[in-house]
Amino acid sequence: MATLTDVMYHSIGEGILEIRHGMDAVSTKQVTCWLCFVLVWAALSACSVGRAEGLPYVDLSAREPLPAAAAANVAPLRVAVAAVVSPQGTVESYQPLLDYLARRLGRPVQLIQRRTYAEVNDLIAADEVDVAFVCTSAYVIGQREFGMQLLVVPRVEGETVYHSWLIVPSDSPAQSMRDLEGGVFAFTDPWSTSGRVVPTAQVRALGRTPEDFFKRVIYTYSHDAAIRAVADRVVDGAAVDSLVYRFAVARDPDLAERTRVIYRSPPFAAPPVVTSPHIRAQLRAQLADILTGMADDPEAQAALGALDVEAFVPIEDAAYDSVRQLQREAGLWDLP
Amino acid sequence: MGSAVKPVHERLPVALRQLIDRLWLVANSVSVRVKILGIVLGMVLLLGGSITWQVRVALETALERELQSRAVSITRDVAARSVDLLLINDLFRTHQLLGDTLENNPDVRYAFIVGPDGEVLAHTFEGGFPPGLIQANRAAPTERHRLQLLATEEGHIWDAAVPIFDGRAGTARVGLSEANLRRTLDSVTWQLLLTTVVVSLVGVGAAMLLTWLITRPILDLVRVTRAVAAGDLSQRAPHRTDDEIGTLSLSFNAMVHDLAEARRASEAVQAALREKEAARGELLEQIIAAQEEERKRVARELHDGAGQALTSLMVGLKVLSGLRTPEEIQSQIGDLRGIAAETLEAVRDLALELRPSVLDDLGLAAAIARYAAECQRRFNLRVDSRCVGFDGRRLPPAVEAALYRIAQEALVNVARHSGARQASVLLEWNDGAVRLLVEDNGRGFDPVAPGRERKLGLYGMQERADLIGGRLHIESEPGVGTLVVVEVPVPTAHDQLSHFP
Repeated sequence: MATLTDVMYHSIGEGILEIRHGMDAVSTKQVTCWLCFVLVWAALSACSVGRAEGLPYVDLSAREPLPAAAAANVAPLRVAVAAVVSPQGTVESYQPLLDYLARRLGRPVQLIQRRTYAEVNDLIAADEVDVAFVCTSAYVIGQREFGMQLLVVPRVEGETVYHSWLIVPSDSPAQSMRDLEGGVFAFTDPWSTSGRVVPTAQVRALGRTPEDFFKRVIYTYSHDAAIRAVADRVVDGAAVDSLVYRFAVARDPDLAERTRVIYRSPPFAAPPVVTSPHIRAQLRAQLADILTGMADDPEAQAALGALDVEAFVPIEDAAYDSVRQLQREAGLWDLP
Repeated sequence: MGSAVKPVHERLPVALRQLIDRLWLVANSVSVRVKILGIVLGMVLLLGGSITWQVRVALETALERELQSRAVSITRDVAARSVDLLLINDLFRTHQLLGDTLENNPDVRYAFIVGPDGEVLAHTFEGGFPPGLIQANRAAPTERHRLQLLATEEGHIWDAAVPIFDGRAGTARVGLSEANLRRTLDSVTWQLLLTTVVVSLVGVGAAMLLTWLITRPILDLVRVTRAVAAGDLSQRAPHRTDDEIGTLSLSFNAMVHDLAEARRASEAVQAALREKEAARGELLEQIIAAQEEERKRVARELHDGAGQALTSLMVGLKVLSGLRTPEEIQSQIGDLRGIAAETLEAVRDLALELRPSVLDDLGLAAAIARYAAECQRRFNLRVDSRCVGFDGRRLPPAVEAALYRIAQEALVNVARHSGARQASVLLEWNDGAVRLLVEDNGRGFDPVAPGRERKLGLYGMQERADLIGGRLHIESEPGVGTLVVVEVPVPTAHDQLSHFP
């Protein structure tokens, strides 16, 4: 029995001594360090995996001057379009016509747009634009101020006139301008005949000014924006070009359901195509020929269709006298 | 297929095998504390590391996808908002739009607009334009957008190109830097790693506590084991826990307790043995002395008794040869016969005392009865001897001799020490045992502290009883008398000889 217990003591004791010896042999610190290292390495190495090499390299800190715009070999015909509709709508509508002009003239045609009618007039006066599609009031003012020249006028449905239509949201109770008192009203452009001059004259006829008649007045700078503002009830009413309204409604029937016309003005001569007083008479005559001849040219039908115009026809300056009269009534300019 | 398939570990590369061997060696050589710490740390770090890695990868994928979609949406926004500005040639407000885009979107590194002719119309770089950037990404007019990852000295940039107004007004380009994404990613990663480290530290603390709880009873056991090995059987391992180690402590303590008990019993046996050995030596001495004494007595008896008688016979015979008258001769012969008869009696007594042949011839009961009568004659002690249950059977000779000597010693003791005038001897055989009772009405004595001579005599009786497997019992009290009882088991008749010691 003594022998057995001796062996037991010995083996237990030795075993525990070995354990204690092992503790000294490999320190906890070493093991921990190794584990940490392996894990961090695995974690960080995973970050750079999956990155495709061979990416285009660009040094963002480097700078070089931008190349100057190359001078055109051929001077383009510069055509400005007043912002009757939005700039994008203008491009959509006018690009086919401009392309047609470029083909017929054998020179490039550059489309120039500006936010306001006044800016376009300024470009024409400064000889930066050769031909322009302007509003009636802009023509009247340009003709008066720097001799803007009338070229042709578009004919739509056999007429070369257009109207100013007073529109309200379809669920509005308003029946006339009088009912819009105290509401928010949208003018298109400060120089727009249909969008500002006509409604201002109407308010004046009521013995008021737009500023005190309406709660607030905003400018949309294009007729399609004014239509949308009414459709979206951003404003209580707006006056717009009848041609633009019909064109817009034709393109988006939804607008017809959401707006209602409560007043149609007497007709005014349509917005003309004008030329700068600075262009050569030969170019002017050539342009008039091309434009008036479009109605008979099969190749021009697409361009006319895009503008919803039947033909371009010559027009006399006297056709715009009614606009001059309206401007006086509106009292917007100090006119003689 | 035909060749013997190597074990898996032999097919591994040497380096890997060495690594595995090394890990195995370390795992085997480290202590329990390191193993527990290793398990805790390993689990925490493995879990933390893999979660960190997983989160980082998932987060990177999600954030990158989000960055890409943001790049596209910002660029599309820029493209949509710049159409009209570009068409009316409002480059200043286009420039402002790009500036606002850059300012309001922290991830936007740059924004610029390339015109339809490939010239830059507006951009957010100061003092020039980075070469090669325009060409780095192009979107065809028909594409909604095009994403391109660029490598720059500032890191990766997602460049989105969106045609403006179907490319007629140009292309909007916006670059979103991954720097914020990387920062977020790194920040999250480090937070997770930090959490892992903190949890590891807590785990190490908990593991150390656990290790202490586990190893403390083991170390206690080691200490107690050493003490016990050094001979200190009074040590006990403290019982701290109710787990396996606690059970081990308990069973170890029980083992030590048993060991101590065994040692105590062994020491008692050894002490008894030593005492017995000493008494036996003394007895042997006594026996030798007694033997010498007996021889001297026999020699003296022979010399004084038989020798004197024979000398008297010689002298008588010489006188006889000188006598002449028949009367004188007749008288002398009668004297000589008397002398010879006395001598014969003396020699017979002597022989009887040396070895009672009656024991061999007539058996124990007769021998004891004879000796009782002898006591009457020699010590003037009246002894009643009775014998029950023998029915003519004989005990084995050794048992008879031992019992006879015990009875003889007891009666001698009675005669010599008790001062009793009367004693009784009872011998009975029943229930497979023989009992001998010797009783007197003498002074008695204290059986715990007998005198030296008596002690030896008692011890002699004890030895004889032990030799035949019997038990000796003495009851005595001063002034009351003494009872000596010997009980010897006797096997049943048919195997009494073969099984008797």
